[in-house]
Amino acid sequence: MSSKRKPTNTLIILVFIVFLLLVPVFLKSSYWLHVLSIVGINVILVASVHTIWCTGELSLGTAGFMAMGAYSSALFVMRGELSVWGAVPLGGLLCAIVAVALGYPFMRAKGIYFSILTLLTGEIFRLTAWYYRSLTGGPLGLSGIPSPEPIKIPGIALITFDSKISYYYLILVVVLLSLLILFRLQKSQVGFTWRTIRERDNLAASVGINVLWYKIFAFAVGCFFIGIAGALFAHFMHLLAADASGKFGMFTSIYILIYMVVGGEKKFAGPVIGAIILTLLPEVFRPMQEYRPIVFGALVIFIIFFMPQGIVDLPYRFLSWGRKIIGP
Amino acid sequence: MFEISSVVFLQSILNGLVLGWIYILMALGMSLILSITNILQFSHGEVYMLGAYVAYYFSVVLGLNFFAAILISVMLMAVLGLVLERFFFRRLRAEFLSSMIVALGLMITIQSGVTLGFGINPKAIPSFAPGSIGILGTRIGSDRIIAVGISVVLTLLLFLFLKRSKYGLALTAAPQHREACILLGISPDHMSALAMAIGSALAAVGGALMGSTLVLNTFMGSTALLKGLIIVVLGGMGSLLGVVVGGLILGLVDGVVLVVFGPVAASVAPLLLVVVILVVKPMGLFGHEF
Repeated sequence: MSSKRKPTNTLIILVFIVFLLLVPVFLKSSYWLHVLSIVGINVILVASVHTIWCTGELSLGTAGFMAMGAYSSALFVMRGELSVWGAVPLGGLLCAIVAVALGYPFMRAKGIYFSILTLLTGEIFRLTAWYYRSLTGGPLGLSGIPSPEPIKIPGIALITFDSKISYYYLILVVVLLSLLILFRLQKSQVGFTWRTIRERDNLAASVGINVLWYKIFAFAVGCFFIGIAGALFAHFMHLLAADASGKFGMFTSIYILIYMVVGGEKKFAGPVIGAIILTLLPEVFRPMQEYRPIVFGALVIFIIFFMPQGIVDLPYRFLSWGRKIIGP
Repeated sequence: MFEISSVVFLQSILNGLVLGWIYILMALGMSLILSITNILQFSHGEVYMLGAYVAYYFSVVLGLNFFAAILISVMLMAVLGLVLERFFFRRLRAEFLSSMIVALGLMITIQSGVTLGFGINPKAIPSFAPGSIGILGTRIGSDRIIAVGISVVLTLLLFLFLKRSKYGLALTAAPQHREACILLGISPDHMSALAMAIGSALAAVGGALMGSTLVLNTFMGSTALLKGLIIVVLGGMGSLLGVVVGGLILGLVDGVVLVVFGPVAASVAPLLLVVVILVVKPMGLFGHEF
């Protein structure tokens, strides 16, 4: 992993961002804007899980922390009379605080023990939302969650968030900000320490790195952004339900894990690309109806076998094939 | 809390034990596969579900004897285990994350495939041993007693196989030192295949027994997978005794809490219990570091 940034990469990212900004101009369908907003939320989730994975721990509590962020932000607005702009970060912050509190005991467990712990904790969060009827509506769901308040820029414009287009832009901005923060964090000294811990935690501890706190920090950062994603999801859907097969069920956590590895967990862009492609693919296969999961599963296996480094490695592979054919 | 009589309480304990022993069959295979091939077999729940459906197909659709159907199911699932090991997991041997994702892909594919084949509606296998036996005022179906009996016998056989037979010892040796095993003439690949075959066969038995006594639908695999994962980490990786103890704890909690505290507690309590146990003992009850 080279620390020097290649100018081509920056160019590709800029072109992609401009493309994303222009999407609503030629894509009028509100259905597709809805799908793209969900893609954005999945991208935040997968980048957060990838940040936790930097320390070598797989968190499977994504759905649970997302539920916590979603419900807390919605309730801050509906019961606590807070502004949405304050409630969303507060939802994320609550997740981070819970992550620190839970991280201390949980991080003693490693590997699959930690994964199962987070999976079960996530399920407990979801079941709490499911059974705490007076607060969350229980099986009926929590409905009537307000959209963000309009932003008034004096003399220029009034930005309202009542349409899919404006919400698309809001999610886009949050996604880009989150990705920027997580990217800088992963490339910083902290991120370097995280990866040191993943490679050899004993060695890291022996040179004076506080392994436990670095792991908890990664967990808290990941859960913060997962909470933000959940809160955005709440104000985007206006309706939350915590049933097992819904967005907060444990399958979401598993799918996020699949996105991460299929995209390619070695690079920062990999999980993001994986989330984008694998969330959009089932929409492309929509006419195939009940065959979709089979196609999805088979595709995942296919990619793991034939692109062990993930989808993100594909361009490099094409380049090296090209060089082989054309010659150096 | 409800007022409950001691008979109801005893009944719930018995139901919990039955549940526990069926979970154990499922979890033994997962634990075996995890400790010997280092694969978190997420599609194990689907092997279990497929085992139940094969038994259903042969016993109900084709009208065979139920135990013959179980035998066929066991053999087919053992072959499936071999196929999965040879064509999917062997090439990802050293890659924990990739093999896990392949297992997840298999899980999604098998589950939706079986749903397409058999339909989404639950099926039923007629009880293979009608009637019930009374124990201290409680009634328990004789098919459940036979299921527990089969489960206990299979667990003991597996224990004997692993501790006493040459192949069993080779199996436990394989994950400990790969090179040394090759030098001694033990092929780690063959041992992985053996573990997958045994594990899948046990899952088939568990699925078929579960399918005939309690539920049979295409989503039973996901539930069983979660139970299996909980048992494996609760007992500690690589410990047979841990699996048995973990399975019984989980079964008892599932059975007793439902009756004593109602359905809300029944769905949260097992999760909470495992979280607490793992926080206190991070390697599980009987786990140890390799």
